Amino acid sequence: MSTSPAELTKAPPKDDRGGARRSLARYALVKLGGALLGIGLVVVATFFLFRLIPGDPTIAYTRDVPVTPEQLALLRRQMGLDRPLGEQFLDFVLRTLRLDLGTSYEYRRPVAELIGERVGPTLLLVGTGLAVAVGLGMWQGTRAAWRHGGRFDRFSTGTALTLWSVPTFWLGLLLLMVFAAGMGPIPGLFPTRGMEDVDAPDGPLYLLHVAHHLVLPCLTLVAVVYAQYLLVMRSSLLDEIGQDYVTTARAKGLRDDDVRRRHAVPNALLPTVTLVFMQIGFVVGGAVSVEFVYSWPGLGLLFVEAIRGPDYAVMQGTFMLVCVAVIVMNTLADVVYHVLDPRVRSA
Amino acid sequence: MLKTGARLVALSLGLSMALATAVLPGAHASSSGASGSGVIGLPAHPALRASAAWAPQPEKRIVRLGATQSMDSMNPFLAVRLISTSIHRWTYGYLTVPDSKTLKPSPDLAESWKTSPDKLTWTFTIRAGATWSDGKPVTAGDAAWTFNKIMTDDAAKTANGPAVENFDTVTAPDDRTLVIKTKKPQASMLELPIPIVPKHVWEGVPDIGTFENETYPAVGSGPYIAVEHSKNNYVKLKANPSYWRGAPAIDELHVVFYENPEAANAGLKKGDVDWIGRLAPPQFQALAGDPNLVQWNTPGRRASYLQFNPGAETAGGEPIGDGHPALKDARVRRAIHHAIDKKALVEQVQNGLAVPADGSIIPPMYQEFFWRAEGDKAVTFDPAEANRLLDEAGYAKGADGIRTMPGGGRKLEMRFSIHTEDPVEDKLAQFLTGWLRDVGIQITTRKLDSNKFTEETGGTALYDIAISGWSVNPDPEEILATHLCSRRPTASGEGGGTESFFCDDKFEKLYQEQLAELDRAKRVDLIKQMQERLYTEAPVIALYYPNNLEGYRKDRIASITPIPEDKGILYGGSGYWPVYSLRAVERPAAPAGEDSGNGVVLAVTAVAAVVAVAGILLLVRRRRTTADDRE
Repeated sequence: MSTSPAELTKAPPKDDRGGARRSLARYALVKLGGALLGIGLVVVATFFLFRLIPGDPTIAYTRDVPVTPEQLALLRRQMGLDRPLGEQFLDFVLRTLRLDLGTSYEYRRPVAELIGERVGPTLLLVGTGLAVAVGLGMWQGTRAAWRHGGRFDRFSTGTALTLWSVPTFWLGLLLLMVFAAGMGPIPGLFPTRGMEDVDAPDGPLYLLHVAHHLVLPCLTLVAVVYAQYLLVMRSSLLDEIGQDYVTTARAKGLRDDDVRRRHAVPNALLPTVTLVFMQIGFVVGGAVSVEFVYSWPGLGLLFVEAIRGPDYAVMQGTFMLVCVAVIVMNTLADVVYHVLDPRVRSA
Repeated sequence: MLKTGARLVALSLGLSMALATAVLPGAHASSSGASGSGVIGLPAHPALRASAAWAPQPEKRIVRLGATQSMDSMNPFLAVRLISTSIHRWTYGYLTVPDSKTLKPSPDLAESWKTSPDKLTWTFTIRAGATWSDGKPVTAGDAAWTFNKIMTDDAAKTANGPAVENFDTVTAPDDRTLVIKTKKPQASMLELPIPIVPKHVWEGVPDIGTFENETYPAVGSGPYIAVEHSKNNYVKLKANPSYWRGAPAIDELHVVFYENPEAANAGLKKGDVDWIGRLAPPQFQALAGDPNLVQWNTPGRRASYLQFNPGAETAGGEPIGDGHPALKDARVRRAIHHAIDKKALVEQVQNGLAVPADGSIIPPMYQEFFWRAEGDKAVTFDPAEANRLLDEAGYAKGADGIRTMPGGGRKLEMRFSIHTEDPVEDKLAQFLTGWLRDVGIQITTRKLDSNKFTEETGGTALYDIAISGWSVNPDPEEILATHLCSRRPTASGEGGGTESFFCDDKFEKLYQEQLAELDRAKRVDLIKQMQERLYTEAPVIALYYPNNLEGYRKDRIASITPIPEDKGILYGGSGYWPVYSLRAVERPAAPAGEDSGNGVVLAVTAVAAVVAVAGILLLVRRRRTTADDRE
């Protein structure tokens, strides 16, 4: 069972384990340094990017409200906009280091607190969505590749690609109209909004209540993102199928299922793993339209509201968070890949 | 083996779905809105409801309002969004409230009032017998404390600072007497938009600016008490049993937040909410034909208009911006007015759900204040007249059909500033472009994000013609004030809050007169004269007054009294009449746990199905593994 060439190359010689661990540590450190540098650049970019936006934030905030120049001056002082740019920048960096992301103008509350409130719902939605999308994508991708050209392959690839090309907002609205509001003979089985209703039950029933609310947003997210897992899994498994070790395994008379599950699939998994990590970072920001359609109280919605304001402190905070998430997940992907794939280690 | 597994999976899925359908046969009748407030919001089976009829008992009367906005703050000193100020109007008392019929100020927490001969001192008598929801009496001290807090604490100024700017002192000589001395006479003293908060609760708040006011039940003196707030989800209000006017007829009012108006529409149709307001024309039209819904289409409180750059100047009188010089000429502005077909705009841009403007920026909903242009004064759609006016003023047409300034030189080529990503404004711009081209004026559309738009059209004056609009309060003073000389910005482009950079002696004089005029009829007359001045000078041109569009479920709401009572607004108007007068449809109670029972059964079925599928898969895998081992 463990005689396939791939498995042989995978397991490093026992006496070299310590060295491998040291090299992994060194590799992780280098990556961590790079990530920190990246985060630093994000902080700098955030500061200047949001100052490049045309228009004076104080004027935008006080639109439709009659204010005296004194009141504007006060507001400007409160927002720290009356100080020299260098000083503002230094202050911004120091505050960011303390995780103080400023105060939202609209909510009059610390941005970090607002983000903290919204992270839970977003993680629940994106986490569940991603788990289902990865599972479904990989399973379909595997089956499609194993019998490539067949009916299942054509059908699942076609469906996935179609869903991928559909605008998220539109698909979300369609599902909402059909399965939440109900249409024709289809009953409206799911709620039309949010994560909980006014009379949400307590205890374990609360979980069911939230799960019920989660179904449609999650389904929308899955429909839109699972195509990439399917395609990557399919193409990387197709590569593996052509390899000699698969032929060898087959020649040994192993069952088809075993060749697939124990030989080809583990090797084909690598690109998918990278994709999963990279996606987590992006999807945090990418759930914006799903959250908007279903009024899901997450980070995406917070960002949309901030743009509408415009509420610069909140925009800056969420922007930084998404950037940092992408950097952290990329770094993690690098490290995990390093652990999983010996070829990367030797390179 | 694999095939057997797949078959088993399919079978169990099919079984679970069939089971779910069997449990939920009434689901197909969901649009009847019988969803109640079940745990998972699933509609109850009619048969189950019928079986409950043997023991009818009144259900909790709940009305659910869907709002396309969430609360910014429960603290009335900080909240500025419409939904928040509405909820505060329902939970806190004010000195006065607009009368439900005439919209004139009528007694609320202030039973009566009088003014001194110099019009600078206002003495209010606070209602005897009004109590806070914690049982303590409402006193003049509470009101004085509230006003003084706003006057002295910068953070407390956030929401209503401008309203007290003219206040000199506010005192409470005794529990029932409130004395407000103003620096200048102020006719709008009876329209103060300030909720009175209980001093005994609020004086212990260390910093108003960071206080969230989320201790429930909140202490207020309005018809409802806020009892629960799930951020970004909902606010739950209960009827205040000790409200001085008497408790509202419903038990609870739930305000749930929809971010997306389409979803709110779907929620109304399905019965997740009972009432939604502030609809756009397409959403409103989408409600047509549903027998359970009432489409509420009444005159609105908003005016949509064009603003011109009439040679913008700072408050100090120095020219700023780069407005087209031709727009300084009132004849050009009037000619543009003649070139616009407002009826066509209403039909094409607002789907017919608006009223063409034949007056100024105060909509006809405010019958008392509304001024209508009649006879010779009315500017009608008349391109020939527009051409004649421009010819007469010396703006000759060139070979390309575009006019030039008198004496040659600059062509009448202008920018039209609209907001990015607003399909309605886009459409409007297309119509204007064509009509103005017909009279020899070329306009190009500039799309600006709201921040840049506000800055250019209100501060730096880098525009020629721009789109604008305003929702008007029962007292129109504020909207008229946006055309005062003093509202123009400083030299650095700051402050003010002008809508037109207008500065006109006659308008200014009328404004000051109405401000000091405490005789209602005379003041109304002065305000009409101001509107006429705006109409003839045309620094702005009112295009149309969009209707107020709402919808509610008649199987859940028995009646609502709009404000004003004859043909008014339900949600988003001033005062608390609509939510106070709400009556829910009486329905027999469902046996406890019936709705939730359905939901739980479905959920349990679903979980069971998933577990069954997982179990079967595991079984199949295990059997296969043992087979491998045997190999």
